[in-house]
Amino acid sequence: MLELAIGIILGCCALGAGVAMVAGIGPGIGEGNAVAKACEAIGRQPECKSQVTTTMLMGCAIAETTGLYALVIAILLIVWAPGRLVDVLMTAIG
Amino acid sequence: MKKVDETVRKETGYIAACTVILSMLTQAVFLVLGRWDISVLLGNLFCGGVAVLNFFLLGLTVQSAMQKEEKEAKETMRTSQRLRTVLLFVAAVVGVLVPCFHPVPALLSLFFPRIAILFRPLFMKKETSGKPEKE
Repeated sequence: MLELAIGIILGCCALGAGVAMVAGIGPGIGEGNAVAKACEAIGRQPECKSQVTTTMLMGCAIAETTGLYALVIAILLIVWAPGRLVDVLMTAIG
Repeated sequence: MKKVDETVRKETGYIAACTVILSMLTQAVFLVLGRWDISVLLGNLFCGGVAVLNFFLLGLTVQSAMQKEEKEAKETMRTSQRLRTVLLFVAAVVGVLVPCFHPVPALLSLFFPRIAILFRPLFMKKETSGKPEKE
């Protein structure tokens, strides 16, 4: 029974990490669209290239943070959470 | 080798400077709490460096994508984002698992560029207000 409980904990942690990493897909698509539109904007007004690039860079970095949050959550779920949850389980059983 | 755009260089410099300041702040907090050891500094340096490198690579990708067609630019950005996420993942795992790095400053350092961008409008306002107004 204890092995089953530990197995469920480990499985759920791994599943949670996988689900968290789904958030990593969004920034890639968003950045792609943003750069495509920036290319269009520079094509229309080449004199604004520097300003568009700066805004683009900052925008992309902000968009990427979402993926970074997911990454950190996934790492914590894989590395830190299983041990902690098994400890809690053991304490509860006594 | 491609020449790095002036904007990319300037922004990376700004992010690097902010990362150094925030790293020093982190060290100071750990010192005040009495939990400072060399692993805190190493974790901070390692992941801070990776965060700045990630931003620089993003800049390079944006620079090269700007010279491409719309569809090609999209693909370039997506591929770059995937590869950079792998880089960050490896850095974060190394920062958490390797005992010579303290995990808290290591993970915290990855967010320093985001915090730097948060303060960016303050500096931009100063830059604009410093310029003489055109009549």
